[in-house]
Amino acid sequence: MAEGSGLRRAATWDRWSGALFVAPYCAFFVLMLVIPLGLGIHLAMTRGDLFGIDEFVGFDNFARLFADPVFLRTVWNTIYFVLLTVPAMTLTGLALALVLNHTSRWAAILRAIFFASTVLSVTVVALIWRLVLIPEGGLAGVVARAIGEQPIAFLSEQALAMPAVAVTTIWWGLGLPMVLFLAALQQIPRDLYEAAALDRASKMRMLFSITLPSIRRTIALVLVIEIILQFQLFGQAHLMTGGGPNNSTRPIVLFIYQTGWKQWQLGYAAAAAQVLFVMIALAAMAQYYITSRKDKA
Amino acid sequence: MRYLLALLPLAMLSACGKPEARTELTIQRFFGACQAEFGTLADPAKAEGECGIITAMINQFEAANPDIKVVENTVFWPGYDQLTAQLAANGPPDLVTMHSSAIPDYEARGLLEPLDADLAAVGITPDQFTAAARVGVMVDGKTMGLPIDVWAPLWHVNMNLFRQAGLVANDQPVLPTSPEEFFAQAAQFQERTGKPYLVQISTKDSSGPMRIFYVWMLQQGAPLFRDARHANFDSPAARRALSFMKDLYQRGYSAKNLDYASAVSTFLKGEGGILVDGTWMVGKFDAFAHDATSPLYRGYAVRSFPFLFEGRRVALVDGHNWVMPTDAKRTAREREAAQRFLKYFAANDFQWARTGHFPAYKSIIESAQWQQLPHRGDIATITQIGEPLPKYVRRQSAIEYVVGEEVSAAYTGAKPVDRALTDMQRRANEILQSY
Amino acid sequence: MSLAAVHKPPRTAIVLVTLAAVFMLAPMLWVLILSFKDNTALMADTGSAFLPPWTIANYRSIVGEGQVFTWLMNSVIVSLAMTAGVLMLSSLAAYGFARLEFPGRKLLFVIVLFGLAIPEQAVIIGRHQMFSAASLHNTYAALVLPGLSMPFGVFLMTQYFRAIPKEIDEAALLDGASRLRIFWRILLPLTIPAQATLGIFTFFHAWNDYWWPLISATNRDMVTLTVGIAATQVNFAQSEGLGFLMAQAVFAGVPTLLVYLVFQKYIVRAVAGAAGQ
Repeated sequence: MAEGSGLRRAATWDRWSGALFVAPYCAFFVLMLVIPLGLGIHLAMTRGDLFGIDEFVGFDNFARLFADPVFLRTVWNTIYFVLLTVPAMTLTGLALALVLNHTSRWAAILRAIFFASTVLSVTVVALIWRLVLIPEGGLAGVVARAIGEQPIAFLSEQALAMPAVAVTTIWWGLGLPMVLFLAALQQIPRDLYEAAALDRASKMRMLFSITLPSIRRTIALVLVIEIILQFQLFGQAHLMTGGGPNNSTRPIVLFIYQTGWKQWQLGYAAAAAQVLFVMIALAAMAQYYITSRKDKA
Repeated sequence: MRYLLALLPLAMLSACGKPEARTELTIQRFFGACQAEFGTLADPAKAEGECGIITAMINQFEAANPDIKVVENTVFWPGYDQLTAQLAANGPPDLVTMHSSAIPDYEARGLLEPLDADLAAVGITPDQFTAAARVGVMVDGKTMGLPIDVWAPLWHVNMNLFRQAGLVANDQPVLPTSPEEFFAQAAQFQERTGKPYLVQISTKDSSGPMRIFYVWMLQQGAPLFRDARHANFDSPAARRALSFMKDLYQRGYSAKNLDYASAVSTFLKGEGGILVDGTWMVGKFDAFAHDATSPLYRGYAVRSFPFLFEGRRVALVDGHNWVMPTDAKRTAREREAAQRFLKYFAANDFQWARTGHFPAYKSIIESAQWQQLPHRGDIATITQIGEPLPKYVRRQSAIEYVVGEEVSAAYTGAKPVDRALTDMQRRANEILQSY
Repeated sequence: MSLAAVHKPPRTAIVLVTLAAVFMLAPMLWVLILSFKDNTALMADTGSAFLPPWTIANYRSIVGEGQVFTWLMNSVIVSLAMTAGVLMLSSLAAYGFARLEFPGRKLLFVIVLFGLAIPEQAVIIGRHQMFSAASLHNTYAALVLPGLSMPFGVFLMTQYFRAIPKEIDEAALLDGASRLRIFWRILLPLTIPAQATLGIFTFFHAWNDYWWPLISATNRDMVTLTVGIAATQVNFAQSEGLGFLMAQAVFAGVPTLLVYLVFQKYIVRAVAGAAGQ
């Protein structure tokens, strides 16, 4: 009898002991992710500031957001920024990987140079480029004068400010796609190329028939990682332009920060945060869908 | 093992160490960081500029009060994002610099301590303040802080260039009295010197454009706000002010694409006639005026904004104050330390006034010592005609941001004036109606 | 093997890539040169950067003043702590998900995966409120704890654990080893490549964090490198000066660059390893 209950206790322990391993992480998951998300969603339906909630307003904040030209512009700014940076970074990263996929010394040095900027933190990068882009005194201005041109005030021109922020971001993040593609390229079996060479296929042919198809999973991965990353643009815009000129460089995340902390409208800011969440969740689901489909293929 | 356990209590005792005998006083301020140049200076009379003088003053206070440990937090201007975050996090500083225009927001939420009793304890009463300072710091009859100055936007003039342009009479700069005169004089200036007449800040700065816009509106006799919930930016006065700003920019009478640092640098290099900045630079520019290697040598004058519009002879002023955020954990000793600092600062406000700001105390403004400071006589009228932003309108900091952005967009030509005004009005009203 | 064995890239490609490398290096070198110039000379004309005289005055000021060191130290402590925490928690959880049976395991794992889609922005305001209520802002805890919940670590480590053959576990179980022992002594050492990948990702994620420290670590002693550098650049006309600012940027960037140059191979391998997962 005692044996029976002992066995049952052992069986229960066996069933649940595994859970002890996941428990610590799950505690943080609930505490730092689930609860704040719930709080955020609740806040999104209130009117108030950092010091207290004034009243519950249901979906009013969301209705306001979709009628707010400033917010709608920030949604466009974010999408525009993603369009400016992601294709450029992906293509350039791929091109660099293709050219630098060598064991020689110069290739190694160049690879190191291209990844070096990625290890800098965002505010250092913003500082460096902000000063590069100062019209009269910055590096861009000095170079312009040296070649006899007028310096352009990139960060003050409505049409040029976002591209300038995009160039900064590309300079900063180019290393990551390059490294990911390099790794993928090195997985391609050599005999595929040797067989093609025997068939006297041109370099172009090999590129399009062998290389690109072999790394299509990595291309998809890079695209989705970069899209999710660039959707979250904050530091560069905050420090280089503050959202201007004329709201042309304000991304959604900066809108959230300024609305919550500068304008004391925390509920409104929380609502904008949830909208961003939905946008990113859709992008993340797209990643899951694409990569799982590729796995099955 | 037992041997280690025996040592443990001893280790704990030694870790406690000597209790910190000094009271910790956390002072938070903007005005920039200048540790490299003034970090160890303890004599404000030898310092210059806002950053230098306040650093020296805090050092001097600490040296004179060895039982107080001052933790000095420098935040980037205006520091309200941070203060809000600190208050929300229940960890605010003991004293913090705050504009008079920002006090209503924090006071309405009960986040500031009224200081009537504290100031009385160290012998300071509101009737010692100048009128402008008093209006700036009092809300509903309570003194919400210690005023340290009243400041105003100003026109800093490069007299050397003005002489070259023929715009000097009796050693005074000739300034316009109407928009037409403005354009005539600006044209003359640029023709004869080849440099831009005005040096305005137009990039990544909302306060500069906002102040200029507000001044032109006020001069027409129009209020900035119709009431606590509605701005007045869709009025004819607003349109006239913004159109004027746009006109002069588009006609090339202002230097373009300058952020704050570049604007100051442009003026210092002698590359512009008038820098539109404020009282805080008077001391600094005056120093350059005595430097034989500077383009401003013997050629610096400063004036309040000229009256270009018919309406009211008024100037826009704001003020800096030391306020005490509410903190349940503040001890009586810390409070007493704060009182001592306020007393010190009030007694030495003259040093602070050397920056160029107007002192907050009648005794100093009326003193010969202050009146003999360079250029003060030229701008002293501001103390009479200066008008602060209305106290019943909250969220001034947020509105400043919106106004600054829309004004910049309009006068640089990125947006038509009417659109900018409509947007400005809508966004400002949204903010005013959001609480 | 690589494409390289088959053909060398065309000359134009090499030239273009070299030009691109110059574009990458130019801003960093310019900042370096500016940091060796006197502030007042720079205020007059930044073109003077390329001509002598140069000075180390800015660096002397930094060493004397010491704020950058505090920021650097805070960032290092927070990044290391978060990395250690994530590695430990994710590995433990991954072992549980990959190897052990308990009720609700599949459902729980799916929930954790859904967590991957939650961006920081959706939770940052809620976290700020929570830490405010607990009066825990301006502590290392506030800077480290939120990052421990990132699902990416669990996801990565679970994939890795699943790839290890079950026979290893079974052999150890037959020998009478406990679950914990199997985890700690046998499986964990086998996951070192994944640990390296996760560790490096987490470290740089923590190092780069800007928004959260901006609103949480506001006291002078707790400021991290990202926030500190951001704060001083906002209005440098009223503060230290261009040369000093550049020296600060160099101070902020050089340690990471040095670490990168020394551990380049491992870092790149780790980052690329993530692509395989």
